[in-house]
Amino acid sequence: MPWQLDRRRFLRSAMGPLLPLPFLNLMERKASGAAADGPPIRFMTLFKPNGVHPPSWSINGGTEFDFRMSPLMQPFAKHKQDLLILDNMGDFGFSSHANSTRRFLSGHHRNTKSASVDQLIADRIGKGTSYRSLELTTEGLFPNQIGCSYISYDSNGDPIPRESDPQLIFDRIFRSPMRNPSKRREMKSVLDRVSEDAKSLSRTAGAEDRQTLDQYLSVVRSTEKRLESIAATSNDIPKATMERPLAPANLNEQVESMLDLISLALWTDSTRCVTYMLGNSNSRMIFDFLGVKEQHHYLSHFFRNFSRQNLDALLKISLWHMEKFDYLLTRMKSYRDHEGSLLDHSVVLYGSGMGHSDNHTATRIPIILAGQGGGLLKTGRYVRYAENQQLGRLHLALLKMFDADHDSFAYSTSPLPGLNDSDFTPYREQPFQSWVKTGDGTITVQGRLRLSDNLDEARIFLIDVQGQPPIRIDVAFRDFHDFNLAYHCGTPVKITGSVTEKNGQPVITKVQKLDSLFGKKPGSANG
Amino acid sequence: MVLGVRLPISESFAGNAHDKDNTQNKDNTQDETDSDTPAGFSNAVTKSYQTSVQPLLKKHCFQCHGDGDEVHGEVNFQKIETEQQIKVAFELWSDVLEVIDSGTMPPETEPRLTSTEIALYKAWYQRELVDTIQSLPDVLRPRRLSAHEYRQTLRTLLGFELEVSIVEAEQTIVEKSLVMKLLPVDPPGPSGFKNDTSANPLTTNVWEQYSFLIDDALAQWLSIEGRENLERITGPVVGEHLTSTQCEKLLKWTLRRAYRRPPAAETMATSLAVLDGKRGAELESALRIELKSVLMSPPFIYRSLLATVDDIEIVSGQVGSTFSYGRVDDHELAERLSYFLWGDMPDDRLMRLADEGKLRDPDVYASETARMLADPKSQNLANNFGVEWFSLNEISKVSNNPPVSHALRQQPIDFLNYLFTEGRPLLELLDSKVTFVNPHTAKFYPGDRKRMAAYRKQRGIEVEAVPNQRLELISTPERGGLLTMPGVLAMNKGPVMRGTWMLERVMGEHLPDPPANVGQVKPNQPGENLTFRERFELHRSNSTCAVCHNKIDPLGFAMQAYDAGGNYRPSGVVNGNKRKPKNNKKQPQDTNNSATAKTVDTSGRLPSGEIFDDYAGLQEILVKSQRHTVIENIVKRTLSYALARELTIHDMPTVADISSKLDRDGNLAVQEGTYHDLIRLVVNSLPFTHAQTQSPKHD
Repeated sequence: MPWQLDRRRFLRSAMGPLLPLPFLNLMERKASGAAADGPPIRFMTLFKPNGVHPPSWSINGGTEFDFRMSPLMQPFAKHKQDLLILDNMGDFGFSSHANSTRRFLSGHHRNTKSASVDQLIADRIGKGTSYRSLELTTEGLFPNQIGCSYISYDSNGDPIPRESDPQLIFDRIFRSPMRNPSKRREMKSVLDRVSEDAKSLSRTAGAEDRQTLDQYLSVVRSTEKRLESIAATSNDIPKATMERPLAPANLNEQVESMLDLISLALWTDSTRCVTYMLGNSNSRMIFDFLGVKEQHHYLSHFFRNFSRQNLDALLKISLWHMEKFDYLLTRMKSYRDHEGSLLDHSVVLYGSGMGHSDNHTATRIPIILAGQGGGLLKTGRYVRYAENQQLGRLHLALLKMFDADHDSFAYSTSPLPGLNDSDFTPYREQPFQSWVKTGDGTITVQGRLRLSDNLDEARIFLIDVQGQPPIRIDVAFRDFHDFNLAYHCGTPVKITGSVTEKNGQPVITKVQKLDSLFGKKPGSANG
Repeated sequence: MVLGVRLPISESFAGNAHDKDNTQNKDNTQDETDSDTPAGFSNAVTKSYQTSVQPLLKKHCFQCHGDGDEVHGEVNFQKIETEQQIKVAFELWSDVLEVIDSGTMPPETEPRLTSTEIALYKAWYQRELVDTIQSLPDVLRPRRLSAHEYRQTLRTLLGFELEVSIVEAEQTIVEKSLVMKLLPVDPPGPSGFKNDTSANPLTTNVWEQYSFLIDDALAQWLSIEGRENLERITGPVVGEHLTSTQCEKLLKWTLRRAYRRPPAAETMATSLAVLDGKRGAELESALRIELKSVLMSPPFIYRSLLATVDDIEIVSGQVGSTFSYGRVDDHELAERLSYFLWGDMPDDRLMRLADEGKLRDPDVYASETARMLADPKSQNLANNFGVEWFSLNEISKVSNNPPVSHALRQQPIDFLNYLFTEGRPLLELLDSKVTFVNPHTAKFYPGDRKRMAAYRKQRGIEVEAVPNQRLELISTPERGGLLTMPGVLAMNKGPVMRGTWMLERVMGEHLPDPPANVGQVKPNQPGENLTFRERFELHRSNSTCAVCHNKIDPLGFAMQAYDAGGNYRPSGVVNGNKRKPKNNKKQPQDTNNSATAKTVDTSGRLPSGEIFDDYAGLQEILVKSQRHTVIENIVKRTLSYALARELTIHDMPTVADISSKLDRDGNLAVQEGTYHDLIRLVVNSLPFTHAQTQSPKHD
């Protein structure tokens, strides 16, 4: 089947029109005998390291169907109709990188004896494919906090080794004699040649050489037998002509090659479940190809290491992460799969382990679901929950979707509503009043708390009050940390604090009291 | 005695400390009268064992070291009967000599050997295990390349490294080498070194990984992107494909290098025939499969497979049998030299000298050895030999922070590289005024760190790995030599592990595992105020324990002025072998021990009688009165690594000879032997340059 692709085009076509790929009857063939079940549904997870800069990420306002995507969401705004954006996900006050990463697919960091949700789904959907699941990443292990390097855990709760080299993945999936008949023929020739050689050496060899050659020949023979048995039962796909990715010149090429491979592996039904980390959760990666010289983790602490230059660099990196999400979606849409695209038959989970990347709050963490999953998800929506939601509830809902029913997961017992047509009215935010009361040097304000969206003001919080300018909060790190302002961002609060005037406007300079209108208090324990 | 064989080993090969006076001048031709008891191949050995030694063992040792209820210390004399078993156990016999001589065995509660019995044993030992042991090389034995050697060989052959193609970030661990990533980790062989793959056979799994690697290698080698590299062999490539002349050239080039010797004409012809009559893409595909076959064939993946010996001398052995040995051929010698010094295949120059038959010329051989030691590839000695000898990979577990554990581990490696490649005196291993540090390890050298070149972290970098700088130690008297490096101190937790490690790795002792039922050291009971050392000494005071602990403890406790993290705390809170309090790292160490106020007792007495106050005193003993033991161990380890096999009794004359040459009989007036001298002696030794021929095949 001559579907040789031009590699440059294959790898670099994201910006252009969709790739006119020939339709391959592969899925129908695989689904034969089960045609009524329709195409297989895939589950794909893309993890973004080091949280986000909330003012650039958050959607402040809007409704379920009428909302404006935030500045950081612009790279994938064109996929709006395929997205389900969830807000107020995650319910931990402060969190370590390792714990927040564990929660991403395991629901709770203490859920250490169970498989992560991707693995439970793979158990359900991965049967009969060459790879039950693929666990992929971008960089090496971070041994200082080993949990930063993994999101997928096996049924004992042990981390699953990840692979990061696109060439290696390509070779394993598409060039293995296991599934590639031309590779198998080649291996057969090699086996014939070497055993011929070994036998002729053996004729003149002494006892010790002879012993070695006998051992060698027995390995050759068992390899031959194995090849024969594979040939008899093989589940081949004609990919021999697919070009192998080149060694990447930079991180961007490496990640794009991997995203290409992931899409291809999903499309060819080599696997139905993939997790891919764009970096360890506290990645020290240097994005030199973006002109950034500082380590990502250093920059992600944008409050402590504040400078406009640092923030710009951080946002460049974050935008790049968003572009990779777009790249994946675009690629998945480009593959025709039955009467739709690969994306239509997939559920893609994109997000990070923490929200505010300086404060390490694990609330309002970025979570987006993409793809209809063959009707499992209702997309094109922005769903804001009133209270911060446990990730375990989202996982429980995903398990239910994939018919991998669990009564509970990671201490959560009820699935998160609102992912499809189900009613989630009780979880919606109720209307509330906003007001300002000033007293003797103090001020009390009720309204929605948010970070300033002026990038020069990364340390400034605002409370929106209806009918008047927002009240500024300009406090020291101590207050920011002790009252965990970042935790409450995006939710209505009542704050009392010392006030001074700047440019005729009141500014809270010290927080004395903070109450959440609907939500909980931030967890005091490290989570 | 062996007939007609002249050995390089002469005068003082039996330089055994215990019996120097009895050492005979050993000229092998003198013993023709003993020709019915040739070296190591005599039933007379068994006979003399049965008449003089076995009765002693039965009387004094079988109770604990025989087939009694329990076998102590993994020593069972009752299992030793045949000549072969007697010879293989040669290190055991030397241990026996030592323990009966020093009186550590039989235990105090049992009757001692009489002086007549001791003399009887000594005489037997000297006769059967020293005097009549002939120096013999091993049989030519093929050996699979270790993963590391395979990696280096493939890189040298291809001209590039097979690397995992990912971008690296600071503070993470990545195996960049595709070979090291895919091949199973080599377990250390019987010699203790990973290049000894004798117990690590080819498996189908390894075969598949080889296949995967070679596919990857050839894809790159023959790719359009890799043309520049390939054209150095084939000449300029015009158009898309190689011409048939170029294919032939490349195949010939590869065969010779992959086999590490010129292939037989027949092999070459068979190989080239594969290309016949093909063109363009078909030709290139045939070439690729043939290249893969070559790189998957036995002569590539096994060392010594096609080696031969010449100048063969026939030696008479047991009644009715003979054995023979001779010089290994030039290419085998090149390979031995190259894998020893570089862990890599011979380079073109070495190959050419072997082709021309010049390598065995003593002058050429000497200058090549010197050239190779001066080459950066000799870093292999520290990176592999040194690391495995001193188990330096353990240091990686000391810290979770990669730049820190890198610094701690790289310090001894850079130091060993300095000793090996700059030809420093042997005992600078223990006593040196030079070390290698970086900002992560500088705090251990407070007196000298100010002379280090300044280091400034770039903005936005949190922690990073930094290369070491060489530092002369002037004001840090508590450091110097391998044993006081922070990583080395920290990788062994507590005095027992430190002592055991020193005894095994530095003094060359073999210790059995402790019995399983030893239990824990008891904490201080109410009212007691004992130091850990005092409590430990109570714990291990019974005589079974004492056999080993009399040797281990003085070494280990001498290091107690250094805490578990390798910091120097001569009077501080030091408590080896502590148990980590759960859930609270900051809790004071070992709260049971109220004796922390006492100054650490680092004094000790070696079984040989020397006493010392602290590590400085011990070090003095190690480099002076115990120097021969240390040097002999250095020689044994080096020879064993060079030969990539466990030493046998027939290597002991070589060890004794090299040790005494390097030690110069302890005469300090003569300049000490250096690592260059050691390497020169090893590569010229009989087992390195010679081999027994293989036995003819039996169908």
